[in-house]
Amino acid sequence: MDWKGYTVIYVVLFAFATAQAVVEFTGLVDSAYWVAFALIMVLSVVKAVGVAAYYQHLRWEPRAVTYLVLGGTVAALALTGAAAYSIL
Amino acid sequence: MSQEHEHGLPPKSSVSRWFLTTNHKDIGVLYLITALFFLLFGGVLALLFRLELITSGADLLGSMGYNQAVSTHGLLMVFWFISPFAFGFANYLVPLQIGADDLAFPRLNALSYWLYLFSGILMGVSFFQGTTFAGGWTMYAPLNTPAYIPGEGLGATSVVLALIMFTAAVTLGSVNFLTTMYRMRAEGLRMRDIPIFSLSINLTVWMMLFAFAALLAALMILASDHILGTTYFQYSIDGTTMATDADNPGASLLWAHLFWFFGHPEVYIVFFPALGVMAECFQTFTGRRLVGRKWFIISMVLVALQSFVVWMHHMFLTGINLPIKTIFMATTIGISLPFDLMVFSLIYTMAKGRVRFTTPFLFSLGALILFIIGGITGVFLGAIVLDYQFRGTYWVVAHFHYVMVSGATALFGGLYYWYPKITGKMYNQTLGKIQFGVYFLGFNLLYFPMFLAWETPRRVFVYPEGLQIWHSMATVGGFVLGASFLIMFYNLFVSLWRGEDVGPNPWEYATSAEWAVSSPPALENFPGVPSYATGKLEFLDDETVAERTEGTPGAAAHGHAATDGGTATDGGAVTARAAATATAMEPAHEVGGEEHASHASFWPFLVSLAGFVTFLGLSGVRTGSVFYLSLATVGGIGTFGSLLGMTREPFHAPEMAIAERWPFERVEKMKLGMWTFLASDIVLFGAFIGSYAFVRVAYGWTAWHHDLIPAEHVTMPGLINTYLLLTSSFLVVIAMVAAERESKRGTVAALVGTFALGVGFLINKGLEWQHLFHIHTEAFPNGWNLSTNIASSTFYLTTGLHGAHVTIGLIICAYMTVRAWNGAYQGDDRAIEYFGLYWHFVDIVWLFLFPLFYIL
Amino acid sequence: MAGIMVTLTAVVFPLHGGDVRAPSAVFNQIFEVFLLLGTAVGVVVVAYTMYHALKYRDDGSEEDPYADKVERPEMGEMPTGGTGGRKVFYSFSISAIIVVSLIAWTYSQLLYIEQGPDPAQEEALEIDVEGYRFGWDFIYPNGHTTNTLRVPQDRVVRLRVTSTDVFHNFGIPELRVKTDAVPGQHTSAWFTANETGTYTAKCYELCGSGHSLMTTEVIVMPQDEYENWYAETEGPTETETAANETGGGDHQIAPATVGGAPA
Repeated sequence: MDWKGYTVIYVVLFAFATAQAVVEFTGLVDSAYWVAFALIMVLSVVKAVGVAAYYQHLRWEPRAVTYLVLGGTVAALALTGAAAYSIL
Repeated sequence: MSQEHEHGLPPKSSVSRWFLTTNHKDIGVLYLITALFFLLFGGVLALLFRLELITSGADLLGSMGYNQAVSTHGLLMVFWFISPFAFGFANYLVPLQIGADDLAFPRLNALSYWLYLFSGILMGVSFFQGTTFAGGWTMYAPLNTPAYIPGEGLGATSVVLALIMFTAAVTLGSVNFLTTMYRMRAEGLRMRDIPIFSLSINLTVWMMLFAFAALLAALMILASDHILGTTYFQYSIDGTTMATDADNPGASLLWAHLFWFFGHPEVYIVFFPALGVMAECFQTFTGRRLVGRKWFIISMVLVALQSFVVWMHHMFLTGINLPIKTIFMATTIGISLPFDLMVFSLIYTMAKGRVRFTTPFLFSLGALILFIIGGITGVFLGAIVLDYQFRGTYWVVAHFHYVMVSGATALFGGLYYWYPKITGKMYNQTLGKIQFGVYFLGFNLLYFPMFLAWETPRRVFVYPEGLQIWHSMATVGGFVLGASFLIMFYNLFVSLWRGEDVGPNPWEYATSAEWAVSSPPALENFPGVPSYATGKLEFLDDETVAERTEGTPGAAAHGHAATDGGTATDGGAVTARAAATATAMEPAHEVGGEEHASHASFWPFLVSLAGFVTFLGLSGVRTGSVFYLSLATVGGIGTFGSLLGMTREPFHAPEMAIAERWPFERVEKMKLGMWTFLASDIVLFGAFIGSYAFVRVAYGWTAWHHDLIPAEHVTMPGLINTYLLLTSSFLVVIAMVAAERESKRGTVAALVGTFALGVGFLINKGLEWQHLFHIHTEAFPNGWNLSTNIASSTFYLTTGLHGAHVTIGLIICAYMTVRAWNGAYQGDDRAIEYFGLYWHFVDIVWLFLFPLFYIL
Repeated sequence: MAGIMVTLTAVVFPLHGGDVRAPSAVFNQIFEVFLLLGTAVGVVVVAYTMYHALKYRDDGSEEDPYADKVERPEMGEMPTGGTGGRKVFYSFSISAIIVVSLIAWTYSQLLYIEQGPDPAQEEALEIDVEGYRFGWDFIYPNGHTTNTLRVPQDRVVRLRVTSTDVFHNFGIPELRVKTDAVPGQHTSAWFTANETGTYTAKCYELCGSGHSLMTTEVIVMPQDEYENWYAETEGPTETETAANETGGGDHQIAPATVGGAPA
């Protein structure tokens, strides 16, 4: 990827970060917490995937590297999800 | 081999060799000996409390002495003995079995060993800091926090820090083994084809990579509770006891979740290598190939995966809800089934065999029988109704000793199996068999009565009179078991001199590659490049390798690896492209032109020594003592200096010219090492974020923000930092582009920009923290600091861990900027790319910390 | 039968007359079955293992007795599996069936242990238990707090357990009741004792220097003796003790508000 591609990604990331703050400034966090929660987390996930895919070049690596990363992520999510669910 | 050399290492008879070595076989031997020392350490502690238990009451050790003995016995055996013992074999044998000349990062391997040794020394030192840790090896919260530790509790802090150091060693080791096994297999050796012991190690390190990261998170949080004053594991922070309106009601269960998320995979981490040894010994001494090998492997893979979803069966009585209990009951039964298959596979391997009852086979067979008993008694625990009543009793103690020590039994078999390979000498078989007899008798005399006395609660020294007979028997058994080791040590020690010399292979029907080379193997392992391309082990000579790799750059990762005289196989040749440093955290750097670079390095020892001094200092800094403060300072400077020294030391471990690398053919070893490390870092941060989510759910997710966080904690600083980090990430990729285009100025400018933005990030964070520390509001009259409440603890510690990652990144970035200034990286952006992988990861973490800690 | 009992006892006092299956009975039954089967399976499998080991031992003869049936491994070969895998599957299937059916069978019993006896008999005696280093507080519905647990015979007793300092575990081994005492959390457990007598409650989680000695008496008394004792106890809201006690369910409807704030 050349510098133009990287720049496009950068602009998108910047915009998404701003969007997250905008969600807060519009007061959505207070009025509809879980909607805001979902919106903001989805934005974070999209940003993270963008960084991983383009800046860390996962798109161009063998899929096995992605699975390696996903392995760690799934383990962490399993811990978080199951532990939190257990006390609900 | 065309030439004999020792990679700049002194001879084995010289003491300095053992401090300098980075060779996997030397380090394997060091691991084995050190682990046996910790076996003695933990074993003597066990004998002490077994002596205490010969009658009811604490008349020998006293109650705290007893608690310390049982706690450290567990920690030493689980952490410092059994796994490292297995990894002694793994170090020695995995490269030999898969056809590699060493591990992928030999210096990193030495660092793992020294960190392990010094972590054990720190554990030992803790006994002399008043009292050592006395809260059981499971370290349940909040008994593991200073509030409930008698005296100053420095010994307990040392134990926590020792475990952190140990975990660091394990993480480095996992990265190293995985990279080795995926990049350095002999040609023709698919993953499923590698010998079963190496395969068991592969799955073990996979589990280690993720499980120990979760433990590391738990331990770092605990250390922070000890040293920095955060309140994760305390349910009430004003010092009074408030069980009902606690401000951190999730404290105790948080520890349980983190610990067991690690703790259950740990059971298999301990047992898998033993299973591998058993399978190897069964194949050799029955003269049969492992029956159902494919299913045996599939079973192990299933267990390794499932091991991460059974942890709550250790928590059935903690009040977790019924659906989750049901799920975890099902996964627990699920994980027991593959073991049934493996047991039967071993049994049927004997059919139509030529079974020879040698010492290693006796131990393997014994281990199988003990494991069957351990497994059946484990099924009892799978029935939750029974589990409720077995909880905290000797049933559990007896069951897991049958499982764990059966693993150790197999490993002792491994010691007898590979001793001739490692030493070149044969021991006295009769004495070996006698030891097995005494060992097996002692084992069962020690642990079986525990089933009969199962009503005894764990970790108590008082029991009903009716159970005395069983406890006395167990004590006698303990001493018999202990005595059997005297025979083993005598036998193995004397045989070093008196033992008969053995050839390459003393065991008929052994098949794996370690038996195809001399005993002990030469430093570079093989007399040529090992290959299984024809379906059988062959050693390719230098010319063949040169021919094969020339002109077909696709066949090997580095097409011209063998063009410089074809000496790529001896591990000492350096090619321009194959340079790599040994430290996963640090970028690759290339100092070309050195032929036969030395494989001797004093730095791993120094780094670990300095780390030890630092941690010892940290254990006491909260007392404000000058002694401890100076230790921490000196150690810190020493660690930094020796890490720098290690980075600057030229050290080359080139990639193999020809190797099987599925599924990472196109991922160079430094990159693979970095990604593997990052995968474990994901779990580390994941566990931190998971801890935050858990305590917040326990408190009440939405009330949290309102109750615990001051209005002064605003979004803006977080948003600014998000912008700073995103921009710095962008600059790193620009630095890559510039380096590729050989624009030195562009590279330096982009790296300087990255550095400046990172510093800006830290300054902004510092200002924000300062502000929050010193707010005076109605709700928070004394500021909002680390100890104010659970929300402040999670905020400062999680973002602090992230800040520490930024700081480390900045140090690397500064180092690289200087090197770029001096003209490095031009036309080869890989080092920048690897640094970028780390830096972008730190960026990604922030992308989640920002909303979780600033917005939601 | 049970129905009649319920109607009667709901009016007078919630005795169940021994027809509630006690947790100890559930445990003992399952444990016996497991012990029996476990021992049998263990003996069979170990014997089978030893049979194979001994039958196929190398007698030192030059000739390989199974040379025509199996191939011996050779040095340097690519690792592969041996023949005879079908038997592994048969044996595995048998063991899997035993294990899965055993656990499945216990699951229905688990639901009973989890939910307690028939909901119609839920008028149990509710007692809050607070563990501390190194003892137990038992808080009765009337607010009476004691270190010795006294309960009536033949009555369902529900415990709501927590801790005021570290992680403990409350268990009365003879009555097969046990649950964790976790600071900041409440767990619950129930039991019923069909025989009077003195039992011992113990702590099953290491909690510090006094852990080994953290025991207390559990006294199961005949119903009338218990009522007399309970009538004597002082509670913050206690005015007419006898009426309160025979009133049975009154104070047990909202036990959570007594002896501790809601979690």
